Amino acid sequence: MKKILYFLLLFLSFTSYSATQRIELMGMVCAFCAQGIEKNLQDIEGVSNVYINLDNYFVVIESKNTAGISNEKIRNIIIDAGYDVNKIEIISESVEDIRKKYEKK
Amino acid sequence: MFQMTCIAAPMSYKGSNTTMVDISQEYSKIDTSYAITAKDSLGIRLYQAKGEGYKLNGDEFYYLRRLHRINAIESQANLWLFTSAGIVNVKKNNRNNNQAYVSPTVQADYETRRIYMMGSYQLFRVANDNFDTSKFKAGFSFYKTSYEETQPWFILELSHFNTINKKIEVIPTLRLINKALYFEAGVSTEGDPKLHLMYTF
Repeated sequence: MKKILYFLLLFLSFTSYSATQRIELMGMVCAFCAQGIEKNLQDIEGVSNVYINLDNYFVVIESKNTAGISNEKIRNIIIDAGYDVNKIEIISESVEDIRKKYEKK
Repeated sequence: MFQMTCIAAPMSYKGSNTTMVDISQEYSKIDTSYAITAKDSLGIRLYQAKGEGYKLNGDEFYYLRRLHRINAIESQANLWLFTSAGIVNVKKNNRNNNQAYVSPTVQADYETRRIYMMGSYQLFRVANDNFDTSKFKAGFSFYKTSYEETQPWFILELSHFNTINKKIEVIPTLRLINKALYFEAGVSTEGDPKLHLMYTF
């Protein structure tokens, strides 16, 4: 019984795991610009949440894929939306953590 | 007074549709376009205009090309080229004729989270009439907003229309941007109210 519970917990911990990526952008100066970026990022298969921060010029995406979305794919999508990527990094916080952190200010 | 389209970012992301409507006492327009790439857009436009005894009624196709963009962390600058081709009906006194035309517009703009500037020149010649339009807009946002909120702007527009209006028109305008929705309302110093609505999907 203990073994079953152990494997069940292990399975659940893997299935609930996700990756969060923070993308610093260039040229994203208004919501009208950013909505194209948001829409294109939301359309990527596996992306479950997107957060746009205009004040600090970054976007955060959360994906079900533990490795995240490839940097090349993200760059192409941002360029197709008309903007440039400054930096992409994997972070440990979730999109909701980031949203709460910046919306409080 | 009439005016052709010159707005903040006249096209959006690849695969998007942009629809615009302009309404004023002397000019109205409906326009829809599709962005085939991040730099190229194709559209159609129907417009009516009147001023100084002229009445214009036109239909045109246009190709919009983003010639150059400079993306910086806190700003964006663009150079755009519109090329329109269409047929316009020109009425003036006893004159009433249809004319085919090609009309290029060059537009440059610069924008940050708080500042906006735009200048444009349209070459619009029909038979012996010169309807060239030059325009300058500058303004500021009252305050920064988050992505989910509506951002209000004050924009001052200066316009000059050859033949139609010899004066330089001054139009103080309130601009509101909420994601895909872009709205402008202003009244010129000559008392002409103007509305502009743009929606991208």
